[in-house]
Amino acid sequence: MMMMEGVALKFPPLKLFNPNFPTSPATTVTPSLARFALRSFSSSSSSSSCSASLPVSATAGKEADSALGTLSLGHLTRPDFPILHQEVNGSKLVYLDNAATSQKPHQVLKALQSYYAGYNSNVHRGIHYLSAKATDQYELARKKVADFINAEESQEIVFTRNATEAINLVAYSWGISNLKPGDEVLLTVAEHHSAIVPWQLVAQRTGAVLRFVDLDENEVPEVEKLRESISRKTKLVVVHHVSNVLASFLPIKHIARWVHDVGGKILVDACQSVPHIVVDVQELDADFLVASSHKMCGPTGIGFLYAKSDILSAMPPFLGGGEMISDVFLDHSTYADPPSRFEAGTPAIGEAIGLGAAIDYLQGIGMQKIHDYETELANYLYESLSTIPNVRIYGPRPSEKVKRAALCSFNVEDVHPTDLATLLDQQHGVAIRSGHHCAQPLHRYLGVNASARASLHFYNTKDDVDDFINALSETVSFLNSFK
Amino acid sequence: MSSSVSSSFRLLTTRIPVPLSSTKSLFSSSSFKPTLSSPFLISKSISFQRIETRNQSRSPTSISASSSTSLQPVEELPPKLQEIVKLFQSVQEPKAKYEQLLFYGKNLKPLDAQFKTKLNKVEGCVSQVWVRAYLDNDRNVSFEADSDSVLTKGLAALLVLGLSGRPVEEVLRVSPDFAVLLGLQQSLTPSRNNGLLNMLKLMQKKALELYVEAEKGVLESAQSSEGGSAHNELQSSKLESNGDASSSNSTVVGSSSVGEGSVSKKDVKASEFPGLGSRGTRIKEKLEKELDPVELDVEDVSYQHAGHAGVRGSDGETHFNLKVVSKEFEGKSLVKRHRLIYGLLQEELQSGLHALSIVAKTPAEVGAA
Repeated sequence: MMMMEGVALKFPPLKLFNPNFPTSPATTVTPSLARFALRSFSSSSSSSSCSASLPVSATAGKEADSALGTLSLGHLTRPDFPILHQEVNGSKLVYLDNAATSQKPHQVLKALQSYYAGYNSNVHRGIHYLSAKATDQYELARKKVADFINAEESQEIVFTRNATEAINLVAYSWGISNLKPGDEVLLTVAEHHSAIVPWQLVAQRTGAVLRFVDLDENEVPEVEKLRESISRKTKLVVVHHVSNVLASFLPIKHIARWVHDVGGKILVDACQSVPHIVVDVQELDADFLVASSHKMCGPTGIGFLYAKSDILSAMPPFLGGGEMISDVFLDHSTYADPPSRFEAGTPAIGEAIGLGAAIDYLQGIGMQKIHDYETELANYLYESLSTIPNVRIYGPRPSEKVKRAALCSFNVEDVHPTDLATLLDQQHGVAIRSGHHCAQPLHRYLGVNASARASLHFYNTKDDVDDFINALSETVSFLNSFK
Repeated sequence: MSSSVSSSFRLLTTRIPVPLSSTKSLFSSSSFKPTLSSPFLISKSISFQRIETRNQSRSPTSISASSSTSLQPVEELPPKLQEIVKLFQSVQEPKAKYEQLLFYGKNLKPLDAQFKTKLNKVEGCVSQVWVRAYLDNDRNVSFEADSDSVLTKGLAALLVLGLSGRPVEEVLRVSPDFAVLLGLQQSLTPSRNNGLLNMLKLMQKKALELYVEAEKGVLESAQSSEGGSAHNELQSSKLESNGDASSSNSTVVGSSSVGEGSVSKKDVKASEFPGLGSRGTRIKEKLEKELDPVELDVEDVSYQHAGHAGVRGSDGETHFNLKVVSKEFEGKSLVKRHRLIYGLLQEELQSGLHALSIVAKTPAEVGAA
């Protein structure tokens, strides 16, 4: 049995352990905890030893927790991200474009470097030592992804280039062979272009019909309307888990149940949820789920599709080539089992391993912890932004019942979002996004050409939000002075 | 002897790369000033050679060099645009630059709603930008523009102020690189979101369209011969191509020979050839007066050379192709013929005319061909 480094253990979130962090007495990780954590990453320890140590960590954790309140998760993790420590245009960089892409901790960078420097080799068919090691790490990464979203088995994870490619995979493989004229695919007007366009293409080919659900008065997709629109004709519902513009959440579990009742399937676009909250595909009962590595602190160039194994087994190939075949003859070929069937050609091996390292990093913090912190940030951002005169924030108001993700798309009356974003960048080093955020139908629905968007991640702090709001306020005054 | 000198005495200007970034250093050297103390133009061609070797090989095409590695010199921009660039350069602080930009935008005359059409919309902009172009009585092009983004409006204002009221050729020669000189650090790569680049391109496109439209109008009303219309078409096609010098040169040569058999050009006034400005007209008149040519073709190809040292400081009209068929050339060697022509055009050569490409034949020679 091979000694594998970095076993993908499914243990409950540890109290934060960060060797780079300058320790103060109240927040020091107890020696036993540190030893435990180190041990679990360097040897193939069994799960039983983990659970035995936990009670110790739990009590130590509580004391540490209250002290941790003084230093937020953002402050604690910032040192791990080299890119955040720079100046742009003469000001300190304040990076608030995480919904577009997230930054990578040095652990991920190191994993990439180690791969290319130490064991880069083509996977799956190699005999020699390097290729065996590469294969192991690549498949280990697959397992890490599976565990991260609580898939039943790692064979249910197909590595793709990104979430967009994953959706196209479903569209061209499952969609083409399952959709008939008159079948309905249900979406919302708030979907990302990547969730809409592949289905438009497939609908043209198959004669299926796309239906879109509008927003309600809270600027959230109307869930009741969605429920009513589900009929025996509905073969697929394609919805976001968290909206990249509205910051709203959709009740995936309920929607999945409704669509399963009529024999349909659900595809969840989890690009904005997997990086920020706990996502459990079994609990959601998702048929398909997609996400991109680059939004979850992993490298670009890799993403994944999760699909239930029985669905995956029945799907025809998407891209053809090496790796996805079983036997190749001149006039025909036979195909491999999933997931290989859908992974043609040499994969992004290093990047997959990098994604594995990102997942390790996130697990090291704990997704629930990240979620809680970001909820706090989300509220702070929303409230602070609301103080800007004539501002219009899209999506629901946060409340006890309604949670928002830590992002705000907004407009300031009579100010073009591009002007805001340009001056924020040029004069203040604040990086936000301006445009339609790959959601043109949504913007058309809201009646605007474009919006500005600030989006946070767990390594942002309230200080970042303050810097942003101050800069925004100044910029708005500056622009208004020319009216 | 004549065989060693190319009969057209074409200076190797077409193969000279556009040394936009290095012209400054070249310009300081006095040998490159286009003043001519003697008609020893061979020495002039040697100096061009020096330009060639000093540069890394760069293709001579695309005078409107939008490559980021070389900039169009400020002096080649339309005068008002030069002023604007200099104003921005004199303002150091970025915030003040933005204030200046926004100030321009604020004072830009708003565009009438009727002109905010799809044809006038600048594509590829995150904000909405419209541009309108029209010709004034002197056939200079003027612009109007608007945008919902104040920064873009500022940039539009710069272009509107800088380019309006100028001849079309001048507008077409402007390269978007001047934006670098403004020091605004806007995104200056020719990417999808570069509003300035897209605006400029649309303005240039519209200017060209108006020019071509106007040309067609001249054609229909003028009493020009077949040769004349071919000439006009080639003029506009040259303006469009603005690039591969050698190919359009060869087409021009072709047209000259086409025109050989047609009605004498003496009757056709210079004003009916919109390609000729004041210098071109003067050249034509001088040569007609002194050489009494059977045939005379004067063609302004200055646009092909916009960008190198000799052209700086002049307002176009620096390079001409001449074809002269005259009895005056009888008994004279090729060099003597060229010297004769250069002698007649001394004044022009000392006041900005930079180079001539000459075909000088006697009627007998032409008849024999």
